[in-house]
Amino acid sequence: METTLFILGVNHRTAPVAVRERLAFAEAEVVPALRRMRGTAASVAEAALLSTCNRVEVIGVASEPARAFDEVARFFGTDRSVDLDSFAASLYRLEGREAIRHLFRVGASLDSMVVGEPQILGQVKLAYALAAEAGTVSLVLHRAFHKTFSVAKRVRKSTLIGHGSVSLSSVAVALAGQIFDTLKDKTVMLMGAGKMAELTAHALASLGIESLLVTSRTFDRAVALARELGGTAVPLENHKPYLRMADIVIGSLAVTRPILTPSDLETVLRERRYRPMFLIDLGVPRNFDERLNTLENIYLYDIDDLDAVANKSLSERQREAEKAAVIVEEEVESFARWMRELEIVPTINDIRQSMEHLRDVELERHRAWLTSLPEAERERVERLTRGLVNKLLHRILSGLRGNGAAAPDPLYTAEVARRLLCEGSGALAAAGDDPDDDGEPV
Amino acid sequence: MDTLWYPPAIACYAVASVGFITDRLSGGGRWTRPATIALGAGAGFQAVDLLVRGMRAGNIPVANFEESLAFFSWLIALAGLVLIVRFRMAVIGALVGSAVTIGAGVAYVTMRHARLVLPEALRSVWLPIHVTLAFLGYAMFALAAVVSLTYLFYESRLKAKRALAPPEAGLPSLEKLDRINYRLLAWGFLMLSAAIITGAIWADSTWGHFWSWDPKESWSLVIWFMYAALLESRLTVGWRGRRAAALTIVVFTLLVGSFVGVSLVFPGKHSGSFG
Repeated sequence: METTLFILGVNHRTAPVAVRERLAFAEAEVVPALRRMRGTAASVAEAALLSTCNRVEVIGVASEPARAFDEVARFFGTDRSVDLDSFAASLYRLEGREAIRHLFRVGASLDSMVVGEPQILGQVKLAYALAAEAGTVSLVLHRAFHKTFSVAKRVRKSTLIGHGSVSLSSVAVALAGQIFDTLKDKTVMLMGAGKMAELTAHALASLGIESLLVTSRTFDRAVALARELGGTAVPLENHKPYLRMADIVIGSLAVTRPILTPSDLETVLRERRYRPMFLIDLGVPRNFDERLNTLENIYLYDIDDLDAVANKSLSERQREAEKAAVIVEEEVESFARWMRELEIVPTINDIRQSMEHLRDVELERHRAWLTSLPEAERERVERLTRGLVNKLLHRILSGLRGNGAAAPDPLYTAEVARRLLCEGSGALAAAGDDPDDDGEPV
Repeated sequence: MDTLWYPPAIACYAVASVGFITDRLSGGGRWTRPATIALGAGAGFQAVDLLVRGMRAGNIPVANFEESLAFFSWLIALAGLVLIVRFRMAVIGALVGSAVTIGAGVAYVTMRHARLVLPEALRSVWLPIHVTLAFLGYAMFALAAVVSLTYLFYESRLKAKRALAPPEAGLPSLEKLDRINYRLLAWGFLMLSAAIITGAIWADSTWGHFWSWDPKESWSLVIWFMYAALLESRLTVGWRGRRAAALTIVVFTLLVGSFVGVSLVFPGKHSGSFG
């Protein structure tokens, strides 16, 4: 029976979040869940559980994947107390090459919602570590996961899959890096407390900035936000004098008319002696007059501009993902070859042993004659027989391995070879006792 | 052609230019190192060439326009290398490399075969000091113009909201380009001032008067005032960024125009060189 890798699960493409969240496992739940699964899913030989916000899947090894799929699906239902029918249609069932390919693609971040995002590899590593802790990993999964890590590394190294900024806040940070040499001596002013604005301010602040000024519709909100982000609150009606200190201004106020106009900033710029300002407008309606971008040393990006930059990076990544797919395909091929060889390893060992044994038997039979020979001659007979056995073995083994690639059932071929060549199971065993073979030197 | 060392220098400069241009076109990074090494090798070869020439002439080899151009190109290559290596400004490599290749190449093609001997009046220890200071000053101004061009290019990209350059392209920020532009101008200005002063001292010791309103002297003074105004506007009003970059380019264009024009049109004691 051929053991094979299988994967059963849901991801962001096959299931809505409402389904995914009900099937999800928290990190602490994974090890006990794997142990429970070993109890209920008898046909699963090895298993790991990968649960992130975008996917829940079991990566396993079984010799009867069809049975394993049923058992694991039922396990999901009972373990998460979810009616099997409610998610059965969202499940993907992959086996063999397809499962290997899927695992490699997940690890290399080709299957992620944001292609190339770096977190997934860490999550796959965690899944492997937890499965190892649960004791549900053995030969095949060890190898499969290590291969996944090396494939991911290779993809990162030889493609630009992780390049470019694809989220609004990372685009804003990257732009700031193209305008300013360092943020260490820069002041950021946050106007309004939109979620995106807060994220962006936080992303900038985490790089180390000189200071953060926070202003909001209500002063209380500004104070709370300033405390949260480690800044100073400024009353909105009194924000103008502070503008001259701000190198980066992030706007997300609810306004009907732009709060910053060219005439405001012309004064500010003069006071700043024309040091550059980066205005990030995340408000809808827009907080900053779009004509501000025409002022010297002012760089204004509104939400659509940032979005456009992010989308360009994203389509860049999609192109790189095609290159990565080629790499994954190569690795799938090499892993599949390893799996096949794994299957015939016992047969190969048997044949080797049997032939070595034959040689020993024959040499033993001719011992009397051999001992009469001078040392050099004896040595030569020794070499001759060993060489013959090795040549034969090599031809048989490479036939088995090479055959495996093309033959519909390599295991069957291996079994035939075993029958033909191994002692106690066929013709050769009898040949060893052939009475006509009197052992005369040829 | 006089020395064996000059053609390989030009070849290295050309290789460096191609390398830096490829580097820019292919997204940046991979070709920076080999191109920088080629530029360094070119400067090395030319240093030997200048040394041989200088030993033959018994002084700094700037006897005519072509030799001066070659010497000037070498200084730009050296100062460019400092910027590229020390200040990680590989982005200017394409422009610097091309300028040096063209400068050194034109000098090679037009170089006269007759060996030029410096007039007796100019043989002095002041010659290398005065000429090197002046040319170093011009090299700084040339690099400032290159940095300003780069600034204007990336500034307009940012304003136009084009796609982000990938971080591995190693582009300097606008703030850095602006700061380096300022430093180059300040150093260039200092050297030009020193060149004018040493020139005056030398003139006094040779002819007995500091200043003779030779066309080159007058133009130097005009250029000196223009750069002084450029620096002044930054220090007092705070003109920086696009405006400073544009002015740097304008003033440098005037400098080149006036000096090439003066040395070709007006005779005078500077007529041998374009410095």
